[in-house]
Amino acid sequence: MVKNILVPIDFRVASLNTLKLAMDYCKDQKVNAVLIYAQHLDDSITELMFYSPRKIIRSLQSAEFNHALEIIKNRFEGILGDIKIELFHGNNKNFLNNFLSAQKIEEIFIPKTYELKITKRAFDPIPVIKTANIRVVELEWNVTYNKTEQEQLIALFN
Amino acid sequence: MITKINTKIKVALVVGLVFITIIIIFGVAIYFFQNKFSFEDFYKRLETRASISAKYNLEPDTLNAGSLKALRNHHLEKLEEEKEYLIEVLPGADVSQMSKKYGLPEDFLNDLLSVGRSRAKSGNTFFAGIKQVYDNRTYLVIVSAENYYASHHLMFLRNILIISVALVILIVVSLSVYFSRHIFDPIKQITDKVKQISTENLHLRLDKNNNNNEISELINTFNDLLSRIETALETQKNFISNASHELGTPLTSIIGEADVSLLKERSINEYQDSLKNILQQADRLDQITKSLLFLAQTGYKGKADFVETLRIDEIIWETKQIIDKLNPANKIFVDLSLLPEDPKKLKVKGNRQLLQLAFANVLSNACKYSNNKPVSVYIASSHALVFLTIKDQGIGIPETELGYIYDPFFRASNTKLFEGYGIGLPLARNVINLHRGELLVTSVLNEGTTVQIKLPLIFFS
Repeated sequence: MVKNILVPIDFRVASLNTLKLAMDYCKDQKVNAVLIYAQHLDDSITELMFYSPRKIIRSLQSAEFNHALEIIKNRFEGILGDIKIELFHGNNKNFLNNFLSAQKIEEIFIPKTYELKITKRAFDPIPVIKTANIRVVELEWNVTYNKTEQEQLIALFN
Repeated sequence: MITKINTKIKVALVVGLVFITIIIIFGVAIYFFQNKFSFEDFYKRLETRASISAKYNLEPDTLNAGSLKALRNHHLEKLEEEKEYLIEVLPGADVSQMSKKYGLPEDFLNDLLSVGRSRAKSGNTFFAGIKQVYDNRTYLVIVSAENYYASHHLMFLRNILIISVALVILIVVSLSVYFSRHIFDPIKQITDKVKQISTENLHLRLDKNNNNNEISELINTFNDLLSRIETALETQKNFISNASHELGTPLTSIIGEADVSLLKERSINEYQDSLKNILQQADRLDQITKSLLFLAQTGYKGKADFVETLRIDEIIWETKQIIDKLNPANKIFVDLSLLPEDPKKLKVKGNRQLLQLAFANVLSNACKYSNNKPVSVYIASSHALVFLTIKDQGIGIPETELGYIYDPFFRASNTKLFEGYGIGLPLARNVINLHRGELLVTSVLNEGTTVQIKLPLIFFS
């Protein structure tokens, strides 16, 4: 039985630590991961006409982030099935629960201390995630991540 | 100089010729088509008149004829030298006689008789005629006139065209000469300025011009090149002074030791002691020259051809064993939490000895500058690269000196308490570069240094 899990990210390498710890947490169970990036939907008509989540996601992914994702994929090759990256637009409970049932999510993992980086249009999804109808696991990182540190692959190695 | 003048002339010629050709084609085309059109138009006017006059001359009694005549007289402009001919063609009439009698061209009449309508031109006079049959008799109705428009307006147009084309050619030629002279001015300035720069005044730079064009790009490129050359020269100067210093220190010790022991007679023990010291210094000298040689060898690119397939984690363990022997107090931890499950993702092509040497240098530096505090080694791999991260909690490198750490013999200002001669890191970097990898050092002073090494995986290289 494959378990679907959800992990919020901010497209920094450090935020992938949650996924790494979640995989450790899941032990030998097969897992499909859905990574979400929370962002308000643009309200201009032209933006909505040419709305393409793939394009937005691609523009947010840095080379370092992709390397880090590949590293995690290689590390957990046996148990980690698909990794999907999705945009999360609604900052309310109903949207979250619809999203969770559409993606068939069974468990959510959020970082306990790490703060997701909030850029212009992004928002922090963790408060709304905590209201979910399914189990939310808070993962504690044993190393505090230095926020001033440059965006580097090193962030994954704690 | 000759080639430059040639370029100038070439530019002037090309620009000038292209413009002149276009202008001439333009002028000739205007004149030609206007000329043609005016002839065609004039013949049509003559033919209209001929057919009208045929109507009222041949059918004089009808009501139409009167009104047509009135219309013609009132509304059709009288042409220059306009003449109307109404000729009855009698059977067996001689065309040449007819032509002499009316002063009409003979070919025109022949044509008119055989075809039914015809046009001709003699000098400035134009003829147009039609053949009409009325009451079983054949008539030729001919109108002739001088083309005032062709003779005057067209002439005027031709003069205008000739004068304006001549003017334009004059302007184009002078402009193209002017531009071809001055378009190369900035390049000439650059050449003059670059000529002034020699090894003595490498700090000189070309003046920036603010236009965002090719010239400023060229200037920037030149300035970048000069900066690189300056740095390289600086490095070379530093290298020589550092190297002579490093080589000189043990030599001075040897000479001093020998001098002192030769001052007076000494006991065997004292001789042995000083010989031991001399040997120690000589050993050090030997080590420096050996590592210098190694550095020089690995510095050559493209020579190395690696065929051996190596597992990177294996090499790390072997290196750790070597360091364990040399420095048993080390605390190197190999972190496998991100090790890929598939061992194929750890295989690189390379030279075992060289990679061991590189890793040993990096690891022993990490131990040395942190006084044997824990050093972590992380191994991870993406789809195309294997990443090694070596993290220590040592003294770090001052930020301002990070740029020089790959220079041979360079030692950071906070390393005075540690032994070493600044060859290890450049050597490691050379080795990694040889393997088409990348070595990156980041550091926070007094917190630690992180060395990140990327090597291409075998099935992607």
